[in-house]
Amino acid sequence: MSRLSRRDFLKLAGIGAGATVTANSALGAVPLAGSQAVLPNVLIIVFDAMSGRNLSLYGYHRKTTPTFERFADRAVVYHAHSSAGNFTSPGTASLLTGMLPWTHRAINISGRIARELQDRNIFHCFGGDYHRFAYSQNLGAVHLFSQFQQDIDTVLPPQAFSRVDQIVGSRLGGGVAAYQAFDDFLFRDGTPPASLVFGLASRVQLRRRVARTQTDDYPRGLPQARTFPLFFSLADVFDGLYQTIASLPRPYVAYFHLWAPHAPYRASRAFDGQFADGWRPKRKPDHRMGDHVPFYRLADKRQNYDEYIADVDAEFGALVDALEKEHLLDQTFVVVTSDHGEFLERGVDGHITPLLYEPVTNIPLLISTPGQRQRVDVLSPTSSIDVLPTLLHAAARDVPAWMNASYLPGIDGVSAGERTAFVVEAKENASFSSLEKSTVAMRRGDWKLIYYTGHEPDDFYELYNLADDPEELEDVFPGRPTILKSMQEELLDAFHAASGPLAQPI
Amino acid sequence: MGISERLPGWQKIAPVYAVIVLIVYGWSLLWYLWTFPSWLKFLTVSEILLTFSFVLATNLLESLLVLAPIVAISLLMPKRWFRDVFVARGAALAIAGLGSMMLLALQFRDIDDYPADLSTWLPAAVAVMLIVAVVAGRLPFLRKGLEAFAERATVLLLISIPLSVLALITSAVQVFL
Repeated sequence: MSRLSRRDFLKLAGIGAGATVTANSALGAVPLAGSQAVLPNVLIIVFDAMSGRNLSLYGYHRKTTPTFERFADRAVVYHAHSSAGNFTSPGTASLLTGMLPWTHRAINISGRIARELQDRNIFHCFGGDYHRFAYSQNLGAVHLFSQFQQDIDTVLPPQAFSRVDQIVGSRLGGGVAAYQAFDDFLFRDGTPPASLVFGLASRVQLRRRVARTQTDDYPRGLPQARTFPLFFSLADVFDGLYQTIASLPRPYVAYFHLWAPHAPYRASRAFDGQFADGWRPKRKPDHRMGDHVPFYRLADKRQNYDEYIADVDAEFGALVDALEKEHLLDQTFVVVTSDHGEFLERGVDGHITPLLYEPVTNIPLLISTPGQRQRVDVLSPTSSIDVLPTLLHAAARDVPAWMNASYLPGIDGVSAGERTAFVVEAKENASFSSLEKSTVAMRRGDWKLIYYTGHEPDDFYELYNLADDPEELEDVFPGRPTILKSMQEELLDAFHAASGPLAQPI
Repeated sequence: MGISERLPGWQKIAPVYAVIVLIVYGWSLLWYLWTFPSWLKFLTVSEILLTFSFVLATNLLESLLVLAPIVAISLLMPKRWFRDVFVARGAALAIAGLGSMMLLALQFRDIDDYPADLSTWLPAAVAVMLIVAVVAGRLPFLRKGLEAFAERATVLLLISIPLSVLALITSAVQVFL
């Protein structure tokens, strides 16, 4: 794995890219890989903390995603898609490995997948025939890249498209331990700096640099990552994406993980205040395990969140237009998704919560296949762990047996069938030990069963029919005994089979 | 008078450095103990040790950086004013300076918490350091107290220096190889 600056990377990759772009453009739209020799590209764009529930693409009240809707006209659109985890580490790890959190065990904040499973990842699966590229603004995903370093050809550092940053790990080298020591500890934002001298000095310097960089374009301040010093403008980031994609050697599998629309929600001037419409979502009762944040505060944050999503949507539209204009998406599977949702109701602000309601589990998924010109809607439940086997299958790559593959309907002739989607929250457990305290949500058809285990005073369940009750307001547990018994058995069998301890490697 | 004559001897530098080590390493160790339980959940023993080596290496560089200006003051100040009472005044300067930084650091939780007026804070911290340094040399009981404290702290160097050098080598290998 090489670590290059953005400029170095573009310079090197651009030499070879021009010729391949032209050659690929001449091919135009192509059928899926199984029937042709040219390997398709795979482009995955992940928007951090983008809840499917806040996208007008899926029927949200506010018009947050007109561009996504336009892009959907040439894509397979998944309406009941779930992340397998509710924050970056488990959500991203599941997307990149095709495994559930109770298997890969990246269950903690800044967590890692089990060391013996490190070669089970998308980059390894696509193999050396592809140029394998990874970029993330979120250090949670960067930690995973470090685990996959043997299988990735190029990793751009998290600060590649930022205006101001003080990320130390990527500059120093030293792998994931350097990120852990400096960016997650010594210089970590949100706590007093653990490094008294350098940490304090870096904060003073950062404050001055940010003050100098403030711009009228962002009334709430430059967009930034929350717990580490990375400040950026959306326009810069998407411009960087365009240039990078245009320069990638082909065929490629490229993973881009953008911080937006993760908190803090900072839309640009053009979108700030766009949804100051006085609308309030339906008020839901606080959950006893929630944080009891007042409703009015959550409603205000929701407005900011929606505006930030709209801003991201507009930038994404410009990116897609530019790529299409240069025929850079020909022969490319484009996957647009998120690592987890966002929760702004029931007294909860964010996604670090034991609650697994739809706003935090339901994420967007759009997959545009090479040459696709029609929209396909898939309503059956799907999971983020289905994405990797589906892409491998569609690109005619080997699908490893350990993946226990379940292919997404709508791609390569796969039809919708009865499938179960799990979401696992277990951040308070040691990843090497049995999962004693966790929440598991299981979606099957219209039904959703949520199992809370290890929480005081006793384990308990909630059961919802999402067709009749999409807002999850009417818990019908312990009613519907037939469906409940069947789902309980499946959930507990799966949980107990996978939640045991791992051997801790040294 | 040559530079070497103006500088305090190692016997005097060591106690002052020990006070610096106590504060700089102690501060990091405090936060490390706060974070350690969460790391135990997902890092292996070797990963935790490697991370700790980066922390120790950073602390070593920080502590030397703090020591350097205190030693340098000996070159600038009259010998009887600073060199002859180096342990007391050096330790006082280190405690006051690093103490001010600790107070400031506690307010710096994130970008939005930054104190608005650093230009007020900085002169105030410098003034406190000067006063403490002057008083430390003039009041016998304070001088003796500081010297006794610093002398006893030197035992820390027996642990911190070899561990930090080892950590520095480990970190360098990790970064450069």
